[in-house]
Formats: sequence, C-alpha cells, structure tokens
Amino acid sequence: MKMHLRKILQVFIIVTGLFFLGPGCSVIEQGAGVLSKTGRISESDRQAVVETSKAFRRTFADITEEEEYFIGRAVAALILSKYGIYPDRDLTLYVNKVGNAVVFYSERPEIYDGYHFLILDTEEVNALSAPGGFVFITKGLLRRCRDEEMLACILAHEVGHISAKHGLRSIKNSRLIDAFQIMGQEAMRRYTSAELSRLTGIFEDVLADITESLVERGYDRKYEYEADSLAVTCAVGTGYNPQGLLDFLQTMVENPEKGQGAGWFRTHPRAEDRIKRISRQVSKLKSLPVKDDIRSRRFLQVAGSLK
Amino acid sequence: MKRPVFILLVAVVFLVTVFLLAETLTVKMKTTNLRKTPKFYSSALTVLKAGEKVEKIGAQGEWLQIRSSSGVVGWIHSSSVMDKSFSLAGSQQNLKTQASASEIALAGKGFNKQVEENFRTKNPRANYIQVENMLKIVITPDQMRIFLEKGRLGEYGRRK
Repeated sequence: MKMHLRKILQVFIIVTGLFFLGPGCSVIEQGAGVLSKTGRISESDRQAVVETSKAFRRTFADITEEEEYFIGRAVAALILSKYGIYPDRDLTLYVNKVGNAVVFYSERPEIYDGYHFLILDTEEVNALSAPGGFVFITKGLLRRCRDEEMLACILAHEVGHISAKHGLRSIKNSRLIDAFQIMGQEAMRRYTSAELSRLTGIFEDVLADITESLVERGYDRKYEYEADSLAVTCAVGTGYNPQGLLDFLQTMVENPEKGQGAGWFRTHPRAEDRIKRISRQVSKLKSLPVKDDIRSRRFLQVAGSLK
Repeated sequence: MKRPVFILLVAVVFLVTVFLLAETLTVKMKTTNLRKTPKFYSSALTVLKAGEKVEKIGAQGEWLQIRSSSGVVGWIHSSSVMDKSFSLAGSQQNLKTQASASEIALAGKGFNKQVEENFRTKNPRANYIQVENMLKIVITPDQMRIFLEKGRLGEYGRRK
C-alpha cells in the first residue's frame, strides 16, 4: 500500500514538475520513458503520461479568438466585395446600439475586437454574420422591420450564430487538421514561404466552406433552429419581447415573393416551421418583457426614411 | 516513514503553486475595457490589451475583479481572459485542446496577420478597406447605458 502511494506521488511530482517548468512534450515523454525503464511505472502509465502531455488542436473548438477574428475579417471582406454599404450614418449607429444591447445579454458578450453591425445596400432580404463578430443586415430586410423588437430579434439570431460558432463549425475538419499541423511545428517563428503558401491555401478553403454555408447553401437546419432559440433567450434577457421574431417570420410567410430564390429564402428553413418551434419556446416562458412604445417610436424616427 | 511525508509535502507545495498560478490571467481579446463596475456599459478605467497579465482579486457571477499590471483595480468579464494555469490543471480533454490553443494565441501564430497579408495579395478584390471602416463603428459604454435606459431595456426594463 505504502509502495503504491509512493509510486503515485513520484509520478505526480515528476509530471507536475515538468509542466511547471514549462518544457516541450518531448521532455515529458523522455521523463516518463526513464520512469518506465527503471520499473517505477508500467508501460500503460507511461503512455497515459505521454498522451496527457501532448497538446493537440483538433477541431473548430480549438480555433483561437484571434484566428476567428482573422477568418471573420476575410469573410466580411468577401461579403463587402459583393455588396455596397447603405450610407445612412444615424441608422447604422442605431443598428449598432440595438445589436450591442442584445450582445450584452447573449451567450458570448465579449469577442476579440467587439461586435460590429453594418447595413448592406441591397433590396435582397437577408442577414448574415461572419465569425469574429461581423454582422450584416440588408436594407431590404430593414424595410420589413416594423419596430425595434423585430430588428433586435433578427440581430439576436445572427449573434446566436456567432456565439454558437456555427460559421466555424461549417469548416471541414480535414482542413483544420492540416492547418494545425503546419501551425504547431515551431511555436515562435514566422512561417517559411512554403508553409505560408500552404496555410494561405487552407485559409482560402476555410473561407469557401464558410461563405458557401452563409451565402449559397445555408447552415444546417439545426443551427438555424438553435440560433432562433438563442435569439429568444437573448431578446428576453435584454428586455425585448420575442414576439418580434415571430412578427418578422410572419412577414416572410405573408410576403414571400419579394425575396423568393434569393438570400434569406435560400439559406433558411421554412418560416412556418420556425414559427411553430419559437412559439413553443415562448409559451413556456414564465414572464415576458413589455413591448414598449418608446422603442417603436425611436425605431420609426431613425428607420422611417426607409419606408 | 519520513520520505513519504516529505514527498507529500512537496506535492502539496506544487498543488498550491498551480492553484496560485491560476489567479494570474491573460487577456485574450484584442482589447477589453477595465470597467468601474461589473456591467458591460460601465465606464472604462483603462483599456487592457491582448497578452496583458492581470491578477484576479475577486469575482461576482461572470465578472472578475482584477488588478492590472499598472495597478488599476476594476472589473472584466470572465470570457475576456484565458487562464493557462487552470488549463494545465484541468481535465485531460481540456489539456489536449486548450493548452495548445493558448500557446498558439500567446505566440500570435495560426491564421494571423501574415496569412491575411498573403491572402490579400492573392485576392485584391476582398474589400478590407470597408472592413476597417466597419471596425471603426464603436458605441461607447455611456451611449449604450443611455440607449438601454431610454429604451427601458436591461435593468431599466419592465416585465409582465
């Protein structure tokens, strides 16, 4: 029993000590090897120590905040190469205030360089979000909003996509494994031109995966439903009545022809299905924020020019 | 008999050290406000930058009270810092993923500025100028507080 305790303590101290001194994996591997050869630990213990010491990045979840930001910047740059910006400064600031209000009460209130919202100058009815906090809403969609609750719920849906990392989840994992392999080779130097060239190629493929989901194919349905659910929670947390989301979807049911085939309709599940699910979620809520006329009035004051 | 006790003592010292190290946190956002009170729209005492080390001195829900490297005490949201020491003391799964991601973040490697510059050279149509303009749209904490208050949102809201 005593021997067993001693063995555990020895292994613990060596492993903790090696971590504390901040070595590479190979040092831990060697240390475990020595212990194994001297019979202090078994081969299976040695393998467990080595396995634990290896620090791998494997999936989208291992993408750092900064990397997500650089991916998001590129996605945003591609979106902005396709669409112009609606130049109404006051309306843009107002959309940013509504957007940041829902961000405060979202699952991910802080992001690398903050959340930023922009109005795209197109009659297409759509809203898009790129990883890293870049949110776009079209002039066409803003025209369909009747009040601040509707706008807030749409922005909360987009923030939901970002907080649940749906854009990053749409990246094919094989690309990330290739990229992580190059990135993990030596931690503290710049890339060689060959590495940089390969990495940029993978970066372009990553962007293609995301933009295909965002613009062409749409996210997996389950992600859209999840973003709706997050939008309801976030809107209610902020103090917006979630009826805004249902009102917006109802306009899409009643006037589908205006945007059929483009943008939103191509990339989202049927509005009727979403209404059913959201209504179920809302009916379970014990209390709801009051829809205040003050907000509806300030919406019309700023967005009235669009009507 | 004496030797196991000594070993146990050393183990305890290591555990305490690892625990204490977990109180030093590293900012992982490009910038984050060190706030006067634990609220997003609280005014900023100073701005903390990525990689800056801060010392945790208290907590309230998802907010951490910290002391900055220049000695300023204020509040930050817990999601704006990474806790490398805690990662190492965490579960095996966390260790495999977060430790490495933290190292990459601290080293500034990964998909970084260098990769972006190369991508921009290859894709001159990507409209980074407008991305920079988008990033310049910043709403101050005070503007947000007034917006919430006037709109009866957040803590100023009403429920039925």
